[in-house]
Amino acid sequence: MSRNHQNRQPVLEARDLSKDFHTGGAFTGGVVKAVQGASFKLFRGHVVALVGESGSGKSTIVRMLARLHEPTAGEIFYNGEAVLSQRGRRALLRYRSQVQMVFQDPFGSLNPVHRASHAVQRPLKIYNKANSRQELRDKLEELFAMVSLTPVDEFIEKYPHQLSGGQRQRIAIARALAADPEVILADEPVSMLDVSIRLGILNLMGRLRDEQGIGFLYVTHDLASARYFADEILVMYAGFIVEQAPAEELISDPKHPYTQMLLAAVPDPTRGLKTENIELEGEIPDLTSLGGGCPFAPRCQHAMDICNEAMPAQTTLEDGRWVRCYLYEDELAPAQMN
Amino acid sequence: MPKSSQVDSQEPLIQIQNLNVEYRTVRGAVRAVENVSFDLYPNEVFGLAGESGCGKTTIANAMTRLLKPPAYITGGKLMFRDIDILQLDAERLRAFRWDQLAIVFQSAMNALNPVLTIGNQIIDAMQAHQAISYAEARSHAKRLLRTVGIDVARVDSYPHQLSGGMRQRAVIAIALALNPELIIMDEPTTALDVVVQKQILQEIKDLREQFGFSILFITHDLSLLVEISDRIGIMYAGKFVEAGPAREIFSDPKHPYTNRLMNSFPTVHGPRRELLGIPGAPPDLIDPPAGCRFHPRCELAIAGECERIVPPLIRIGGQRDVACHLVKEAEAAS
Repeated sequence: MSRNHQNRQPVLEARDLSKDFHTGGAFTGGVVKAVQGASFKLFRGHVVALVGESGSGKSTIVRMLARLHEPTAGEIFYNGEAVLSQRGRRALLRYRSQVQMVFQDPFGSLNPVHRASHAVQRPLKIYNKANSRQELRDKLEELFAMVSLTPVDEFIEKYPHQLSGGQRQRIAIARALAADPEVILADEPVSMLDVSIRLGILNLMGRLRDEQGIGFLYVTHDLASARYFADEILVMYAGFIVEQAPAEELISDPKHPYTQMLLAAVPDPTRGLKTENIELEGEIPDLTSLGGGCPFAPRCQHAMDICNEAMPAQTTLEDGRWVRCYLYEDELAPAQMN
Repeated sequence: MPKSSQVDSQEPLIQIQNLNVEYRTVRGAVRAVENVSFDLYPNEVFGLAGESGCGKTTIANAMTRLLKPPAYITGGKLMFRDIDILQLDAERLRAFRWDQLAIVFQSAMNALNPVLTIGNQIIDAMQAHQAISYAEARSHAKRLLRTVGIDVARVDSYPHQLSGGMRQRAVIAIALALNPELIIMDEPTTALDVVVQKQILQEIKDLREQFGFSILFITHDLSLLVEISDRIGIMYAGKFVEAGPAREIFSDPKHPYTNRLMNSFPTVHGPRRELLGIPGAPPDLIDPPAGCRFHPRCELAIAGECERIVPPLIRIGGQRDVACHLVKEAEAAS
């Protein structure tokens, strides 16, 4: 499934997106290079996971795609159309109805003084999805049923504090669905939920992908859930996307040394605390003082002189996967391009 | 299972017997911990697992007498060797908390004093409890920092100058300052990234081998817990549902809750498979379900039994304890 969309048009595309944040005062301030040159495509009925540690820039990418942050450079395409140049409330509203967001914290993202129905009704009204009271009610019930909040009559009347974390996140998803989007940007949607509840939410989103054809950008720090839910995984480190591969291939055969380190660090009860062959060293660098080289070089076992000089370009390995690492540049040889 | 033989032959360091804790709220009493008993042996890592609200942190707070109203210990006994923790007066409790036991909380890295250097915070802890000169304490503080993997030059750094991982290491250094016999670690790495988490867990394991203290390790992350613990206890809604050697429970869970929990988190190891999670949500402990507290979510529940009779925690051979009617019947049949 991840292989044959070369000819299809992506529903959402990020091309060379960068975002700088300025910190401090006029003279003392620095520049945080939160995201540098991020490019990827999102297709309908397809899940792309953006995996990285805190501060790697994954939430900044989501916020740019949601048009909550203006990118410093780069362009976003929606169904082939450049969106950043489209100004005005109308255009923004139309874009946001197609590209919806689900946030991490279901306790903070629902208004506590309104019933569950309120959160889901608002987008129905804002985006003119219902023409009459009856239609509004029907749509509401349909959405609640879609996220398995049944009996619907009961849940519609509840206040957020009467609901569990998982139920609240279902409402947040219903709210996103109300706008009838093509894409849902889900920023750590399960990380605040109990372990036994997470699967229900991931499976629900998987069903929406299959049945409604919604494209998901799934942002997470958890490689295991990315493998479970996503078709494709992007790995981020210090503002750069360093590797992209179909989910299973990334897990079974990680190419970038950082991806290898990340995988080695995932708890594994069958193996104990030993990490074979891989030294877990150092921490994420300070993004205000990045040099021109690969930001992972100081922690990398394979670092060469060239790594400190310039960030490597994308090396395409096989259909659908690439890596930004000098170790693989040799593989660019035409014979292997097939 | 290197610890198994040790467990049989040694005197426990901590004995918890029939611990009951409730939170008295305006809505009624929340029975957060009910009849929990377990022992913790010298040089052992005992892991407590369960979802939020299952009572794991309440147990840690009860053991350290950190519970404050509206939380009340309504029954049970907490022994540290021959010290009855619940009977300690304020002065002896203060000494007990640092000399015998130390705690590392989830957000401990945010509990460091922002206007003191980390060196001085370690020195403070030592000087408050031991007759030790500043110079001696300072050189010990440096040794401790090196032990937990922080550059000695950082002794005069303030917390804001350190990353989250380094601050959590500093907190572990403070916990080690008085060479305690038991360290309680409540989600010590949950706020950290996986790579840093793994680094710190490896550090903790090395330190335990070096100093020989016991650890009560609390986390909701079952695979991490199995990785670091010798024995684990699985909690659900304030009660122990299963306890035993970590690897045995992992490879052969007996309680339906443990079984479903094991099948609730995706993994990066082995083939990918569909997972189901557990339907429903943990109960409200003001009015917990009668009988087995897991029965409303349990697909194997025996009608007429599980919703009426509370299953006792029974030993099923070796060091495995399980509280489930199904397991009891299977045992009786065999």
